[in-house]
Amino acid sequence: MRRRIDHQSMDRPRVWAGVEELSDDPGFQAFIEAEYPAVQEFSKTARREFLKLMGASFALAGLTGCEKSSFVAALPYVDQPASETIGLPRYYATAVSLDGYAQPVIATTHAGRPTKLDGNPGHPTTLGRSDIFIQSAVLQLYDPDRAAAPMRRGEPVSWADVESAIGLMRENWLADQGEGVRLLLGPTTSPTLLRQIAAFLKQFSKARVHLHSTAGLDARRQITAASYGQPLDQHYVLANCDVVVSLDDDFLGPGPDQVRNALGWSQSRRRYSDRPGNRLFMAESVPSATGALAVHRLIADARRMPALAEALAESVGVAGASRPELTDAEGRWIARAAAACKERPGRSLIVSGLSGGAAAGLWVARINQQIGNAGQTLKLTAPISGPANAGTLAELVSDIDSGRVNSLVIFDGNPAYGAPGDLGVGEAITRVRSSIHLGLQRDETGALCEWQLPLAHALESWSDARAVDGTATILQPVISPFYDVRTAHQIAAMLLGEVDPAADAAVRETWRASFGDAFDTRWKQALHDGFVEGAEPSITASPASNFIAPPGTTGDLDIVFRPDPTVWDGQFANIGWLQELPKTLTTVTWSNVVAVSPALAKRLAASNGDHVEVKIGERRVSGPVWIMPGQADNTVALFLGYGRTRAGRVGNDLGYNAYHVQATADPWLARGSLRKLDTSEDLAVTQLHHRLEGFDLAREVSPGQAERAPSDQASLYAPWPSSKNAWGMVIDLDSCIGCNACVAACTAENNVPVVGADQVRVGREMHWLRIARYYTGDIAEPRSFFEPVPCMHCEDAPCEMGCPVHATTHSPEGVNQMVYNRCIGTRTCSSYCPYKVRRFNFFDYRAPGDSSEHAAHNPDVTVRSRGVMEKCTYCTQRIEAAHVAADKENRPLRDGEVITACQQACPTKAIVFGDINDPNSEVSRLKRSSRHYVLLEELGTRPRTTYLARWRDDDDAESRQG
Amino acid sequence: MRDVKIVAPIARHRGAARMVQLFSPVADTWLRLFLIGGLSLAGGGTVAVVGFARSAYMTDTDVRPRQPVPFSHRHHAGELGIDCRYCHSNVEVGPSAGLPPTETCMTCHSEIWTNAKMLEPVRQSLANNTPIQWTRVAKLPDYVFFRHDIHIAKGVGCETCHGRIDQMALTYRAKAFTMEFCIDCHRGPAPHLRPPDYITDMAWKPTSDARKEGEEIAAHEGIRFGELTHCYVCHR
Repeated sequence: MRRRIDHQSMDRPRVWAGVEELSDDPGFQAFIEAEYPAVQEFSKTARREFLKLMGASFALAGLTGCEKSSFVAALPYVDQPASETIGLPRYYATAVSLDGYAQPVIATTHAGRPTKLDGNPGHPTTLGRSDIFIQSAVLQLYDPDRAAAPMRRGEPVSWADVESAIGLMRENWLADQGEGVRLLLGPTTSPTLLRQIAAFLKQFSKARVHLHSTAGLDARRQITAASYGQPLDQHYVLANCDVVVSLDDDFLGPGPDQVRNALGWSQSRRRYSDRPGNRLFMAESVPSATGALAVHRLIADARRMPALAEALAESVGVAGASRPELTDAEGRWIARAAAACKERPGRSLIVSGLSGGAAAGLWVARINQQIGNAGQTLKLTAPISGPANAGTLAELVSDIDSGRVNSLVIFDGNPAYGAPGDLGVGEAITRVRSSIHLGLQRDETGALCEWQLPLAHALESWSDARAVDGTATILQPVISPFYDVRTAHQIAAMLLGEVDPAADAAVRETWRASFGDAFDTRWKQALHDGFVEGAEPSITASPASNFIAPPGTTGDLDIVFRPDPTVWDGQFANIGWLQELPKTLTTVTWSNVVAVSPALAKRLAASNGDHVEVKIGERRVSGPVWIMPGQADNTVALFLGYGRTRAGRVGNDLGYNAYHVQATADPWLARGSLRKLDTSEDLAVTQLHHRLEGFDLAREVSPGQAERAPSDQASLYAPWPSSKNAWGMVIDLDSCIGCNACVAACTAENNVPVVGADQVRVGREMHWLRIARYYTGDIAEPRSFFEPVPCMHCEDAPCEMGCPVHATTHSPEGVNQMVYNRCIGTRTCSSYCPYKVRRFNFFDYRAPGDSSEHAAHNPDVTVRSRGVMEKCTYCTQRIEAAHVAADKENRPLRDGEVITACQQACPTKAIVFGDINDPNSEVSRLKRSSRHYVLLEELGTRPRTTYLARWRDDDDAESRQG
Repeated sequence: MRDVKIVAPIARHRGAARMVQLFSPVADTWLRLFLIGGLSLAGGGTVAVVGFARSAYMTDTDVRPRQPVPFSHRHHAGELGIDCRYCHSNVEVGPSAGLPPTETCMTCHSEIWTNAKMLEPVRQSLANNTPIQWTRVAKLPDYVFFRHDIHIAKGVGCETCHGRIDQMALTYRAKAFTMEFCIDCHRGPAPHLRPPDYITDMAWKPTSDARKEGEEIAAHEGIRFGELTHCYVCHR
């Protein structure tokens, strides 16, 4: 008889993965017991039809092997570059960008095609780590929906037409010194573009620049401006922290700073081997990755943040702070946090997010000053990104309304979509006489502008940009543009009056000034290294001494806005890899949701997927509701980035557009109401897919608690004979922040297909690696766990025993191998797999051979066809490449020579792979850790992939730590 | 009704008495013939299918595909004695041996046979900067990930897989690249190995004690016996 999943033993807290599970609905039990939920939905007749068809397919299946391979063309170079080795990848250092910041990368190119991006190991901020946006940028390059040629009012034109039109505009602008000329930029760190903008403003002294930021960068600047008297950038030195207190700041969540923060946080967290190296206090309204890792998590509505900040300030003795009224839970949390901070002066850090606004920000600045964190764990610099002294988008719209704008140039932004709805940017743009839009796509804004000028992708461009710490990278093209595009610098040069500017001219000019006489060597060195030494120097600033009144606390629900965890502000909406990544904590794919607390959902009588209407002021939007365990009762979270209409074939018409109800006055925290509608939708959620039947899946261990000794379970099977190398992996659950970088990296490395929302709904997502998310405890206040689950590469693998055709076998090195050309698709292996890591190609998900996406494939990995099973291979192509390199030199493999894609991407170094036969390897060292445990050990599968339990740093542990 | 009850068994009895024999005297023979025929059909079919799969037609051995330039390995490698690696310069460093770029052809042919008609495509290639479109002769299926460099490094000669290229006027596939061909060597590489100096030697013959000599080479080269037959070595 099948075991049911509710066999949690009595002494363990109940582990659950979704709200539905807590309801003990029989339909739900049936759903999760199906191997692939969709198979359940066949009616009896359909099932019979299906078997008939399968019978016919089996009869014909044998014949497909008789295909004769045809002769194909072989094209050698005419003049082969000296450095080219045919069939081996080449690597270039460059960068892609997020919110204007450089994200330093090493691009892997095969035969001139970039196929994979990874962090630049030499770069001082990221040390080779990456995030989902870096990993997915390569697919954006090959997006077939990119703008391919310049257009004027929807008609294709040539760049010569563009240049002559700009020439005419310039004549008009010169006549009145650019009165009525406006440039609209997103946050920009490029020294070259900022230099060009400055030159433009010099030429046309009456022209103005406006800044438009979608993801809250300008709001953060406003907070520092209010709390320090000048706009500043804050840099968290998490590696030096013993205690971190966050007031609704998801600093480990997605964004330009994620990699640096995650790296620093994990460094301090791993400082000791016998106890956690830091403690995280988090007060938050909407559950986030950071909150999931906090030891003390306080659930508080967004509007409580200024009060909590003041209370903390009062507790640590900041002058002028008075104790506001607190609830019991808040009081306890403040007392603990304050005690922990006072215990570690100069080694703690207090941070606050956008929802607290300037009121919380000022108190936080004073607390950090008071307990000596300023300059130690919190560094301040002048703003890394510009343009400085820019006007706002609201000012631009009001200028257009009053007829003061005749020409508008929009640099790589999409304000017609991504701006607060009450501004009416789209409508305003149409009233400007001449409008020019520069963008990768002819998006919502490009379609409204007179001219749409297609930009080159970062991987096709000469450019420069600065990382979050101010270190500059010179971007070099790793592929020549395959559309008729120009870089922003070329178009800026046209605006400055140049004719047909070269792609690298402006960038060289900028750096010629800075490198001086040693230009040639330093330029080459900078391109080789991928960065130019020199972070922005930190400055000291004292917190302002005034008092900022927090906003009122009466009325409706608090509505907070967040950039989407995977498509960000909407600019990545057309990237299938990002759409299909299960979003951190919700595990929703292909849509955004209206996240509400369980209590609010109960009041609304809404369940997951029911449509609700959000009303802010007079503006409304409706979207599917998501019950978020652990969310503050009266806070509703809306996620930006969806509801796009001109994103392309992948990203159009998904989810709802939260920008529509965003308000210019206070874009990140609003007051509004919620109404349940009669409609609902079936969200593509992965949280209940690939369920394990067992207990103690994601373990915790207290410092000092003796973890039970690894039981050497008796087995009827002989131990797996080991060859020289035996591959194994350890995943540290204490470091995992659930960011999905590993999943995205695996997708890129292993040609994992995108299947679409409908297939995800029926449990057919193809990711070789999933981040299982578990909850324990009460739905109102649960603890959350992230657990990456790739193939376990069991030494006694049940899948291998199940396969009727030996399509899955074991290598001498202990890798569970999947041979696609042998697989006949019975899916027996998948039903035998207790870890549910095997994925079946129900359809032919391959990109057509002549499509541009096809070029993104890794040529070292087979692109699988319909009807075969696939799964994690431990990146066997990398293992074999390392073997060849070592064998050619006749030497053993060195530890760290084989790095899997997931390991390489992980920003917290939570994944370690290596040779378990080598007692000195990193992976062997971790396998000896007291936190080491085996997933579903009781099954006797002897997995090679194992885990380190998360630290349970509770109060007892604190007292032990002393 | 009563009648029926009595009559029916009798009628049945009578019918049975008159029933013809179900199997004729030759039925056994037919059955034997059928079984033998069926078995030989199945056996013959298997032999035919396997034979067909290994036939020159399916493996494309001995086929000389049309090439833009009728390049002769017999002339260049055989008669002139140009080393394989002069043109296939990638063979020791990369997965692919590499076809020579047009520039390599022109190192000589800018001096000799400069006006030969058959070299027109080569000159056109250089003039127009477009590759010469050769037809690939030695080809493996897409699911096989073969690397030249490691085979060369470990003592597998060119001739072992490509045959007597130096005697081919027009190039053809000398060996059928079946899985059997590959895995025979991966199972027991020793007899197929040669000293590093003879890798490109087309006429090299193993000594009488090939296995012992090969084992010495294998030991010297650190060949991972037993690890070369698992699937992921070639299929990923």
